[in-house]
Amino acid sequence: MFISYEWLKELTDTKLTPAELRDRLTMVGLAIDAVEEHNGDAVIDVEVPSNRPDCLSHVGIAREVSVIEKGHVRLPESEVPKTDGRAADFTSVEIIDSDLCPRYAARLVRGVKIGPSPDWLVKRLETIGQRPINNVADITNYVLHELGQPLHAFDFDKLGGRRIVVRRANDGEKLKTLDGVERTLTNDMLVIADAEKAVALAGIMGGEDSEISNHTTDVLIESAYFAPQSVRQTARKLAMDTEASRRFERGADPEGALRAQQRCVELICELAGGVATEDAIDVYPQPFSERIVSLHSGRIPALTSLSVETGEIVRILTGLGFERISESDDPMKFKVPSWRVDVEQEEDLVEEVARHTGYEKIGSELPPSSHSGEYQPGEMQQRSLRRALNAFGYDEAINFSFIPQESRFDLIPTLAGHENDQPQLANPIIEEAAWMRSTLLPGLLASLRHNFNHGIRDVRLFEIGRIFSTSKAGELPDEILALGVVATGSALEEDRAQGERELDFFDLKGALETAVDWMNMSALRFTPSSARHLRAGQTALISSGDGKAIGTIGRLAENLAASYKFRQPVYVLELDLGALLSGPAKAIQYSPLPRYPSVTRDISLLVNRNVSLDEIFAAVDNQHVADCRSVKLVGTFEGGNIESSKRSVTLRLEYRSDDRTLRDEEVEESHSRVTAALLETFAAEQR
Amino acid sequence: MTNQSPEQQVESAIKAFEQEFERFSHFTGDPSTFSALNLETAIADERALSDLRTRHLGKKSALAATKKLIGRVAPEDRAGFGQLVQANEARLVQSLDQAEQNLKTFIETARTARESIDVTMPGRRPRSGHRHPITLLRERLEDVFVALGYAIEDDREIETDFYNFSALNIPENHPARGWQDTFYTTDGFALRSQTSTVQIHAMQRRGAPVRMIAPGRVFRRDTPDPTHNPMFFQVEGLCVDRGITMAHLKGTVAEFLRRMFGPDTVTRFRPSYFPFTEPSAEFDFSCFKCKGSGCRICKNSGWIELGGSGMVHPNVLRAVGVDPQEYSGFAFGLGIDRMCALMYELDDIRLLFENDVRFLEKFE
Repeated sequence: MFISYEWLKELTDTKLTPAELRDRLTMVGLAIDAVEEHNGDAVIDVEVPSNRPDCLSHVGIAREVSVIEKGHVRLPESEVPKTDGRAADFTSVEIIDSDLCPRYAARLVRGVKIGPSPDWLVKRLETIGQRPINNVADITNYVLHELGQPLHAFDFDKLGGRRIVVRRANDGEKLKTLDGVERTLTNDMLVIADAEKAVALAGIMGGEDSEISNHTTDVLIESAYFAPQSVRQTARKLAMDTEASRRFERGADPEGALRAQQRCVELICELAGGVATEDAIDVYPQPFSERIVSLHSGRIPALTSLSVETGEIVRILTGLGFERISESDDPMKFKVPSWRVDVEQEEDLVEEVARHTGYEKIGSELPPSSHSGEYQPGEMQQRSLRRALNAFGYDEAINFSFIPQESRFDLIPTLAGHENDQPQLANPIIEEAAWMRSTLLPGLLASLRHNFNHGIRDVRLFEIGRIFSTSKAGELPDEILALGVVATGSALEEDRAQGERELDFFDLKGALETAVDWMNMSALRFTPSSARHLRAGQTALISSGDGKAIGTIGRLAENLAASYKFRQPVYVLELDLGALLSGPAKAIQYSPLPRYPSVTRDISLLVNRNVSLDEIFAAVDNQHVADCRSVKLVGTFEGGNIESSKRSVTLRLEYRSDDRTLRDEEVEESHSRVTAALLETFAAEQR
Repeated sequence: MTNQSPEQQVESAIKAFEQEFERFSHFTGDPSTFSALNLETAIADERALSDLRTRHLGKKSALAATKKLIGRVAPEDRAGFGQLVQANEARLVQSLDQAEQNLKTFIETARTARESIDVTMPGRRPRSGHRHPITLLRERLEDVFVALGYAIEDDREIETDFYNFSALNIPENHPARGWQDTFYTTDGFALRSQTSTVQIHAMQRRGAPVRMIAPGRVFRRDTPDPTHNPMFFQVEGLCVDRGITMAHLKGTVAEFLRRMFGPDTVTRFRPSYFPFTEPSAEFDFSCFKCKGSGCRICKNSGWIELGGSGMVHPNVLRAVGVDPQEYSGFAFGLGIDRMCALMYELDDIRLLFENDVRFLEKFE
């Protein structure tokens, strides 16, 4: 809202400079975007809060300034010089849909001479960014900016039947508005019509047919109050935003309609000549009901800590137009002015007093301590998770929660079978991203592609975020906290240009294992598995320490990789982080250090490739050889002179007793038992 | 040989030594002059010298053998002969020692030089990953508020109308409810447009008094551009107790901003309007870059707008069954993305969700 400083001065006698006004208005809640010199005047751009339509006018701002300066507002006097006849002698007003139009007043000025506005009016409108049109149109615009009441002037002769009907439009009814656009209306839109057709979009814009022209002699001045919601909906639907609609949709002053009309008529008679009717037809089927709000003396300090004297409270509120209606001090009772649509209860009055007393006068202190702080459950583990993945070179990504519809991925086990239950957005803003994600992987892979497109091929990313699934139509979707990780390229060294080797499955698995370890959760289990989006033979199901299946890990399937144009292996994992966090913590149990030395023996087995290390370890465990304390992998070997269906697995077994030093024969005996069992179980050969 | 006198034998042993030592004799001089020498030949020379010592001064050397000839020397000359042998031996040993010592020094120096490393080369370490800048800020501000006695809370991201609007005193016809501003699922649920929803859940769960902050993802229907994203991160705070006033709001927000932006940060409160607070205030803080003198970041005003706040609207308290006559409270909210954009002077916040690793590694 542009305010002319000179205009404001006429209304308030303000002694504040434009720069001072900028600060003072800001501190009463009317933020000033800019103050600019214009034509010897200063234009103040006020950012009016949406609940203060009364401040979309010079008088509204003047009221605030007068309270700031402890001054007064000088409202423009309006007296119509010459009148003749009653409005009802010439026209009629009928409100059919009074729910959308609680008040409509029409008054005529006959015999006007349309022409350009005088210089002072042109200048004033131009200063606040308005384009002058002709004297009558300019006057309605001027009064709108002065008093905040939108007005409309019809060429009376163009009104069929010379009368006004306020009604809902007929479905499909056409109206060419002043901006030259022909609009097709629907039956929820309120129009001003004459005897035959719509002539204006109520509260938004007039029609071209009844526009004031150079030939106009008689004008009908409309001053009305339209229901805010109706104006807002119609303006939205038609994508219109006008000076009038902006005010009506926030709430005009229903009681101010006649005064603004009077002011307008007075100026028309003065500047365009003509004779006004002595009154208006004022149809007011739903009169404004005034509000009385109490203010208890204790409420201001209780909410703000300010102590404001009664006299000052009364000065502020009456200066803003509130009327004190009882002499009682506690509570005081105030009648809310009709233009203050925002004031309904005591706290609203507290704010009025507080903002004009000054928020800067409110002290600043911490509330008395009474609570101990707490993080969300799992936050510390999530922090450890992030740090661990960071340490392994993974950067944290954040993607939008909405993605294109996606069906190429198997969801994490806890969502298995819900592949088609992505919640859908009714009103997406990015056209293709109209579904809430039920997997983090598409976002992460898109991020990978983004990096590839910038020539970065060594990328490791993870994301922690919610995924969604509608388990029952019509009910709130499930929200699951998930972890997604992707890795590709080589293992980079900090500050070095080239990585030493390509990442593989075990890099990703190892990073996850360490992360889970840092989170102090019990170790995960990995079992061979399959998933639509993962390559066969390089896929594992991830289970938490309590055996619950929570995720999948593996190499991205070839067809999917090709669709992203990835030309190198990409490894991905996704798991239900919420489930992981609710799984068992790592069990820490101290046992005394060994007192007797241990002996290690290595064994190399030639086994079928499909025998897993897990199975081999289990076979060792199954022997229950008491002195066999641990078995670890030394390494595996394939190729060379080994048959392609086989691989060599070398293990290191540790033998130890808690009560004596084992003799060689004892170790030998244990080891040969284990060896024999392994050879038999897997039909293996010893190498 | 055997017909030589012992003296002659000593002499010839010395001669033999000297002949062979000749090529090493310069090693008895200053090692810094060994310019033609390199490490490999020096090591070979050292070995040769050691060999030479064994051969000419060892137990089986000709010189050692001469000591046994003392019996052939006339008794009166024996003392002189003994002295001759010893003196010569000492002289040879000294030359040899000197040469060896110098050579060692040279080798040591050369070897050290050869094995010197470029200590400015990068340390051996895998490349570290980085937290997302939003996580960095979120963790920092969570730490601040936990220290101030607040609980961290979060809740659903897809919400019912009640939590996203009604309980927050946002009227039926408010534009924020419109399809223009808020995302809806086809089932009619809203993507939460502010984390105030969490305040409602938390108050229902915890009742009053309560102190909490809710950092989290929120969604608004803004087309992505350098200053907007349709998804961003916000933190909302709530403190409800008996006797809470705006002074506590100011004190808390000011303390928070001092801890985030430095101890000399000044906070300013301006009246404003939000449906869920009354009275309402926006808060600005003194520009951390120019300290109030005006710069690009604060658009020359000295102040940076950061968030909204106010005293919890009595309708909001009533909606969760808290008596506004008994309890009062303050609430505040601000954008973590905005704070991030300010602190790091991001010129385009869309970068926050592109996950370009060149971007992600800039913040820690």
